[in-house]
Amino acid sequence: MVASIVLTGLAIGCIYALIAITYNVMFSASRVFSFTAGTLGMLGGVLGSLFILRMGMPVVAGFVLALAGGAIIGVVTEIVAVRPVLKSLEQHLYVLSTLALALMIQQYTAIEWSTEPQPFPRLFDIERGGFDQQFWLPMLACAVTIVGLELLYRRTLIGHAFLAIAEDNFAARALGLPERRLRMASFALAGIIGALAGFAGGQMLLAFFANAPMLTFYGFVPVALGGMGNNRGAVVAGLLLGLFQQAANFLVGGIFASVAVFTVFIIVLLVRPEGIAGASLTRRV
Amino acid sequence: MAITRRQALASAGAAALASALPRPAIAAKEPIPIGYLPALTGPSSSTGVGINRGIQLAVQEINAAGGIDGRQLELITRDTQSDPTKAVNGAAELTHQKVSVVFGPVNSGESLAVVPLLARANTPQVHPCWVDTLTDPKKYPMCFRNAPTNQQIGGAANRYVVEVLKKKKVAVISDTTGYGTASVNAYVPMLKGIGAEIAYQGNVDAANPDLKPELLRMQSAGAEAIMPWSVNAGFLSRIINTRGQMGWDVPIVGQTTLGSGQTKALLEKPEYWAKVYPNNFRPVCYAAGGKLSDRTNAFVDRLKSAKIDMGDTLLWWIALGYDSPRMIAEAMKNVGTEPDKIVGYLNKLKEFPGIYGDIAFTADKHDGYPDSQVVMVEANSLRDGAFNLAPGYGA
Amino acid sequence: MMDTQATSLHASRTDVFRAASSLSGALPFLALFVIGVAFPLFGGGYWGVIATRACIYWVLASGLNLVVGFGGQIAIGWVALLTLGAYTTSVLVAGNVGPALPPYLALAIAAVVGAVFGLIIGLPALRLRTFYFAITTLGFATIVTQVALAWQSVTGGGVGVAGPVFPEPFSSQWGFYYFCFGLAAICTWMTANIAASRFGRALTAVRDAEVAAEASGILKSTLLGQVFLFSGAVAAVAGGLFASLQSYITPDAFTLDLSVLFFIAILIGGRGSILGPLLGTILLTVLPEFAAPLVAWSTFLYAVLLLIIVLVIPGGIAEILDFKNRRPLESGRAIVPRPDLLAPLLGAPPDAGNLILEQVALNFGGVRAIDGLDLEIRPGEVHGLIGPNGSGKTTTLNVISGYYAPKQGAIRLNGAAMPVGGLHRRAHLRIARTFQTPRIVGSASVLENVMIGGTIDGKATFVESLLSLPRHRRDEAKLRDAAMLALSVVGLERLAAVRADRLQHSELRFTEIARALMLRPAFLLLDEPAAGLSAEEIARLGALILAIAQAGTGVLVVEHHPDLIFDICHRVTVLNLGKILAAGTPAEIRAHREVVNAYLGA
Repeated sequence: MVASIVLTGLAIGCIYALIAITYNVMFSASRVFSFTAGTLGMLGGVLGSLFILRMGMPVVAGFVLALAGGAIIGVVTEIVAVRPVLKSLEQHLYVLSTLALALMIQQYTAIEWSTEPQPFPRLFDIERGGFDQQFWLPMLACAVTIVGLELLYRRTLIGHAFLAIAEDNFAARALGLPERRLRMASFALAGIIGALAGFAGGQMLLAFFANAPMLTFYGFVPVALGGMGNNRGAVVAGLLLGLFQQAANFLVGGIFASVAVFTVFIIVLLVRPEGIAGASLTRRV
Repeated sequence: MAITRRQALASAGAAALASALPRPAIAAKEPIPIGYLPALTGPSSSTGVGINRGIQLAVQEINAAGGIDGRQLELITRDTQSDPTKAVNGAAELTHQKVSVVFGPVNSGESLAVVPLLARANTPQVHPCWVDTLTDPKKYPMCFRNAPTNQQIGGAANRYVVEVLKKKKVAVISDTTGYGTASVNAYVPMLKGIGAEIAYQGNVDAANPDLKPELLRMQSAGAEAIMPWSVNAGFLSRIINTRGQMGWDVPIVGQTTLGSGQTKALLEKPEYWAKVYPNNFRPVCYAAGGKLSDRTNAFVDRLKSAKIDMGDTLLWWIALGYDSPRMIAEAMKNVGTEPDKIVGYLNKLKEFPGIYGDIAFTADKHDGYPDSQVVMVEANSLRDGAFNLAPGYGA
Repeated sequence: MMDTQATSLHASRTDVFRAASSLSGALPFLALFVIGVAFPLFGGGYWGVIATRACIYWVLASGLNLVVGFGGQIAIGWVALLTLGAYTTSVLVAGNVGPALPPYLALAIAAVVGAVFGLIIGLPALRLRTFYFAITTLGFATIVTQVALAWQSVTGGGVGVAGPVFPEPFSSQWGFYYFCFGLAAICTWMTANIAASRFGRALTAVRDAEVAAEASGILKSTLLGQVFLFSGAVAAVAGGLFASLQSYITPDAFTLDLSVLFFIAILIGGRGSILGPLLGTILLTVLPEFAAPLVAWSTFLYAVLLLIIVLVIPGGIAEILDFKNRRPLESGRAIVPRPDLLAPLLGAPPDAGNLILEQVALNFGGVRAIDGLDLEIRPGEVHGLIGPNGSGKTTTLNVISGYYAPKQGAIRLNGAAMPVGGLHRRAHLRIARTFQTPRIVGSASVLENVMIGGTIDGKATFVESLLSLPRHRRDEAKLRDAAMLALSVVGLERLAAVRADRLQHSELRFTEIARALMLRPAFLLLDEPAAGLSAEEIARLGALILAIAQAGTGVLVVEHHPDLIFDICHRVTVLNLGKILAAGTPAEIRAHREVVNAYLGA
């Protein structure tokens, strides 16, 4: 019993953590949160099912194409919903534009793909055991992403450039960094991570358009609790969230479990608005 | 300000039919409008999509044969999108268009809101929803149900578990929709009444990706059978898959959707579909010799020749959809299209020989489906949308 | 004599202005009212359902408009209150909790419940950033639906509960329509009253220029609290009506789609408008009914509309209908202040004593922003504060106006220590300020922006404004007159009705000064008021500042233009790296060697 809760909790926590990282990567590049993070997760599953099951492609090809799809949607988000809004003085327009874009993608998927959950293919032809691929795939994806991002930010030039525009936008531009192209690249990267989350989690969550609002919320909780822009905090918070959710599911049952998660989330946020690990707000005047 | 609208139809089969059959030249007489409120999209649309295939075929056939006294039937469709708000809007529009009869909605949550509205508008209504309170000959004298009630469905399933399979400790689980929760609430006392013990009772969010904790709870409480009530294929498939992963050998007995093509597509292994016994309906099942009744056979042949897909849905949905306009058309052929006449005719309907079932109404009983035709079947015997009767299920 | 002539001229001008704008403003509403009343004559039963639905949605949206449109709070999950109101009314009428209550009483109780929960759901807005708050409202919407599902004994769980039926004459279809229409009309009137009150203006200030709002004495928590109470109450009433229209409610009727519809209707309509969101709500309710395929795609279309509005016309329908602000402004405008009008505006000189900073120190992280700062501002004097960039000038201003609490040292006003925190109280102490970058509500008129400065002088309560009671109307008249006078002082009265974001930068700076003058300040803090001004304008600014000081106000000017400082200041303090480099009269400073080295140049 406990083993099952822990396994599922960690696996789904990794999916939430990956979506949280998606939020964070977009935030680092633009200082805005985008509602499309959860939608990218949903698309990872839907595109994977579309390419591999419906169109019959081999698993690797479907995987690559699903990630490519995520990258494209990430870039579209930047061009359509973020860039025009950053220029204006109205700070919170980004909430609306990314919300609109996310809704459009979700509704289109619901109508064109299906309103019911569709099957997601089994990726590796291994016998189904206790520690099944539907559990370790999200964990593997999460680990690879974290290690990959560390290497990217610390060892590569473009990673340093990403960090620079996140730290101090104006200084970076003054140094001649191509801010716009870097931001597009960041959003493409975020798109890939989001799609990876959905693809790796596809066997658990199935290819279902309604995963989008669910991941939008549960993927944001680790961001809020772990501190915005803080990937390590997000991963820890994501895993804790997954475990808490599964434990609550088991102890109090489905309906009260989601009430419990929401309530804890709101209370923690009110007590520490910047998150458990986050930094406080900068000067406003 | 009568605006005639042709609604876009979701079913590919229907579209094919529409282009295949010619429109007779007798269309000079005014068509008879029939309102139709399916849920073709949205979370509870699998029923609506299946029913839609049958309805479109039936209406085309009736019209091809000359309609009713030379008047063509005109289906005016409003997709409710599984949303009670849109169902109310749709029903209001249908009454505005002065339809003679409304068929639908097909989901209970929507019907609960629409039935009073149609009653106020004095429009006869036939619907196939199961929630018990959806007919009331005194309050809603113009509302008829041509499908079984929750009581009938649950009764058959409960009796199968307790009396045929002889399992006394039962786990009852549903999703969090109106239909699911109403079912659990109704069936638990029924089970207790026939001597069963409730080891587990719960409503679970259908979107929950992991049902293992629930099944583990059932297992540790000593459940000997699982009875799920939901039309959500994702939810049902997760239950079946989890049982298989756990290697837990208990029968799953419950909602008809357990046997649908959509559920089958979501199973991890075909073997998992063993020992799954959904409700179904005798007229559309294979009898002992492995054959369908003549009437049903002819119907299946007609579906095949019209290239209507049965593999991803249930035959009884298509059959129900097929029977409904035919029953309404028969009423109109006999007494005309006045609402009171239609209601009067239905109140005296002794037996309408449908593919799906033999429907009968009286002035005091607006639930038309006979008890005896509700049966249990074996899910993995699915062939062309029909099933074998479940083992131990005698006559 | 000149003064009374001038003021009476202004008074009559504002009278005409007021009458004309209120008539043209009321016309669309009157037209809609007439159409609504006459509707049953040309609409059938079906359109009656749609029209009733539109009225019910508007009852909710009118309240939400104050939260989202005016207040700028992204409350996407407000459908939670519709659910609460629907269930409360239905459950009370059905008698599931206690005896069965008459529908009107149930509706009233639902309104109270809605008010309380509106406050609960809205309060996180005071602590959380925009996106976070949006997500928490979504969380609340889900919680309410889940509770409705779980609490089967009361709400009927998934099976739901029958909606209330209102007694004669509202039980028939058209009777019920008129009931809903009446409530919608009342909500329109009430929210229009709030929009044209200091509360409405304060909301837009909090939305677009929060720091300026605080400096004008607006306390975000009480303001938003009142708005959440009101919005929650009307949303719950809408819920009760909704349940009656549906005749039966189940939890799955309260979808996210519905919540998004309300939210998008307000944004399509345009923020800070009543008419815009009203038209937006009608549009979004009616649109899907015109063609059936549209129904399935309706949420997609709403989202597309929202995206287009955000990217192309952020002002929404209201901006499209704002013909007034399409008229071109005269070019080559000059700002000609009228310092002689200061006396009637400011009244008698305040006797506030001196404003003294003693050894004030403040850190930002590891950086000492200001260290050991001594400063004294005397009434009637202009005190200049200069220094290189990063020397702590603006920080000093911010400490005085209360944005930061000093780590060490004290700030005294007339001997007594100034309270730490509660920066909105500075306005009550008659300390006013302007900002380095003008903080203006771009979508409001110049006059409305200036009236924000006088918010704390209003006496009418929220409820009095809601119902347009006499005290509210007196407040408005007084504020309007004072604001016109303030605009005349700074020389911008001809631009009073113009939308503020059409103004030139220099005009915005003078608008800020007019707004600050509304407080009749004992102390006026100006943060680089001359930045971006032409030489001519700087000269006029200097004359104005001097006149303000002569009227009895103590002025602190932070500036980079040494000429302006030396012209008008009685005393000057020079900062460098957070410490005082020199202090004294302009002549002393100009000759001071270190100042010349560090800052002025030879």
